Amino acid sequence: MSISGVKLLRSYLITKSNLYELLERISERNKLYAPLRHGDQVVLDLAKSINDILIDYIGHSTLPLKKILIPPREILYEYWIEKKSVTINDNLDKIASERIVIFGIRACDIKSIEILDKVFLREFHDPYYKKRRENTVIIGLTCVSPDKNCFCYFTRSGPEITSGYDLLLTKINEHYLVDVGSEKGESIIISNKELFSDATPESLEVKARIVKETIIKIKDKNDLPFFNEVYDQLVKRFDSREWKEISSLCLSCGKCNFVCPTCTCFDIIDEFDPIRNRGKRIRVWDSCHFLSFTRVASGEIFRKDRSSRIKQRIYHKIVYSVNDIGTISCTGCGRCIEVCPVGIDIREIVRNLAR
Amino acid sequence: MKNPYLPELARIINFRDETPDTRTFEIEPISNDEIRGMPGQFVEVMVFGYGEAPFSISGIRNHPIELTVRRIGTVTNALFKLSQGDIVGVRGPFGRGWPLEKLFNKNILIIAGGIGLAPLRPLIHFIINNRYRFGNVDLLYGARTPELLLYKDELERWSREINVHLTVDKPEPEWRGRVGVVTILFDEIDIDPSSTIALQCGPPIMMHFVTRKLRELGFSDNNIYLSLERLMKCGMGMCGKCTVSGTYVCLNGPVFQCREIRGFIERVPEIGE
Ligand SMILES: Cc1cc2nc3c(=O)[nH]c(=O)nc-3n(C[C@H](O)[C@H](O)[C@H](O)COP(=O)(O)OP(=O)(O)OC[C@H]3O[C@@H](n4cnc5c(N)ncnc54)[C@H](O)[C@@H]3O)c2cc1C
Ligand code: SF4
Ligand code: SF4
Ligand code: FES
Repeated sequence: MSISGVKLLRSYLITKSNLYELLERISERNKLYAPLRHGDQVVLDLAKSINDILIDYIGHSTLPLKKILIPPREILYEYWIEKKSVTINDNLDKIASERIVIFGIRACDIKSIEILDKVFLREFHDPYYKKRRENTVIIGLTCVSPDKNCFCYFTRSGPEITSGYDLLLTKINEHYLVDVGSEKGESIIISNKELFSDATPESLEVKARIVKETIIKIKDKNDLPFFNEVYDQLVKRFDSREWKEISSLCLSCGKCNFVCPTCTCFDIIDEFDPIRNRGKRIRVWDSCHFLSFTRVASGEIFRKDRSSRIKQRIYHKIVYSVNDIGTISCTGCGRCIEVCPVGIDIREIVRNLAR
Repeated sequence: MKNPYLPELARIINFRDETPDTRTFEIEPISNDEIRGMPGQFVEVMVFGYGEAPFSISGIRNHPIELTVRRIGTVTNALFKLSQGDIVGVRGPFGRGWPLEKLFNKNILIIAGGIGLAPLRPLIHFIINNRYRFGNVDLLYGARTPELLLYKDELERWSREINVHLTVDKPEPEWRGRVGVVTILFDEIDIDPSSTIALQCGPPIMMHFVTRKLRELGFSDNNIYLSLERLMKCGMGMCGKCTVSGTYVCLNGPVFQCREIRGFIERVPEIGE
């Protein structure tokens, strides 16, 4: 359907059994990542069997989508030294040209892609990220059962999301409503036509109602300001004495960074095998909570004080990102709250400082 | 597009010792491509088998670029073990250098401490080669000992074109010059802050006191420039290591106007706060 050259994105319905059939077909030709059960956690991982895929689960996966697009450890290139010459092998060539489909992620992770794109594809393009990103199809799943730490409504990144996915599924009674978000998404529908039927006006209404109900669930657990409206207050409170107290418990373990869908800082390390004269440059996730993060050659450590490091994370999400990429970079997933061993809670910090 | 993480292979054409722990390397890509650096920009140098580190371009000739490196840790020690003809990797140039276009027809005050003279050297060359386009030019330079002064033979030559003022923290018996931190040299110069641009690079503590002194003298934040050193891994605004108040020192710096830095939310020790 096309009106004056603008492509109108449509909605469809699919039954649960057809959805499994669709996933089966997808998994034959793609690397399919999906939410899977692992002990008492939900993890986003390669689905070996379609039956393992969780379709109705609470909250989100333990690690976010970034673990696929920017793996925790990734070889950038390998090299070997021979007499007076060096040969470099770009690992980019090894990144599978095979397509990736990520199924079942929530609004908080879908929103994070927009933020990752803005960091990795700007003045310089990160070719590793770019290649994976171009090969990736996103099939989101609207969240109806937020976890106790979810607050995406207050970061304006969920529970409803209208872009950033190729397809978005929402459970409507016995069916799933399928919203198309891109041409890539549309082409999945076209090549599997017989699995879908057209969306009914009622199903769209039901979705709107479900979203409203989910918002109420989130609001019931949270009394927060909108995070994109506290910029000025946070700027004013940068030197507030409260920061000492907020950070006094922090262990600088960096868990909050590792689980955050938009914490993208990394280190690049070297591995060298002196017998074979071969080396690797490896990108690994890093944390702004580590002292080593700002240590320079003169021995100076620019964020020595623990509170300066906690502030780095919080201000990056809510202030610096707005200056840098035009949007806050907290998507309200609550993962940093879940994993913090001492109970540091970004919601409380923002609520108190925004007062 | 070229993968910006991959270094270009380059050869060490030559090197010379500046001080017991500092050496200037001439480096040229083996492809014969030119590295087109501007004064104040930096490159990432890969010492294969050891790792990568950022170094300011300390000399821009036609082909080889020069880097002046102080031996301090893993990568720099490994670099010092290499000899003529050996291969390193180079990425860059990266960053924003000294604001050349703002310097014409102005008086120039350059303040450097230790290895901080390295990124200023191509600027000094540029000024001397275009001497008529600049007013009074003063260089205040301090090192820990006379032995640790960089570019000793050049300092002599420079002093024919610009005013060179030197000081050391700890003198040796033959030292006839000044003793003390670099700010003591301010009493040797007579400058008009409104028509002078100050450019500095050195340890954070030096820049802290120099910036304070400049403001005392009546310099506006618009006329003070500093080159900041932060940990850098990518050089391209991605790894996040180098940020100050959310600004990427690798992309938007390392040279900043003092006024920009003063607008930052996060404190920057170098600007005398
Ligand atoms: C933009 C820019 C321009 C620069 N220009 C120049 C230049 O022109 N010339 C120059 O010489 N340098 C320059 N530098 C600094 C240069 O990058 C460093 O000297 C270099 O990175 C040191 O690398 P290394 O591997 O030799 O040292 P490292 O092994 O990384 O060690 C450096 C120092 O830090 C200490 N250190 C590191 N890690 C730890 C740790 N985990 N625990 C305790 N101590 C630690 C070491 O003891 C050592 O003293 C520049 C830096 C920047 C950002
Ligand atoms: S800061 Fe915390 S709540 Fe916000 S996106 Fe990151 S992990 Fe989620
Ligand atoms: S998870 Fe908690 S304790 Fe660990 S660095 Fe983050 S805020 Fe600090
Ligand atoms: S060095 Fe990586 S962001 Fe600046």
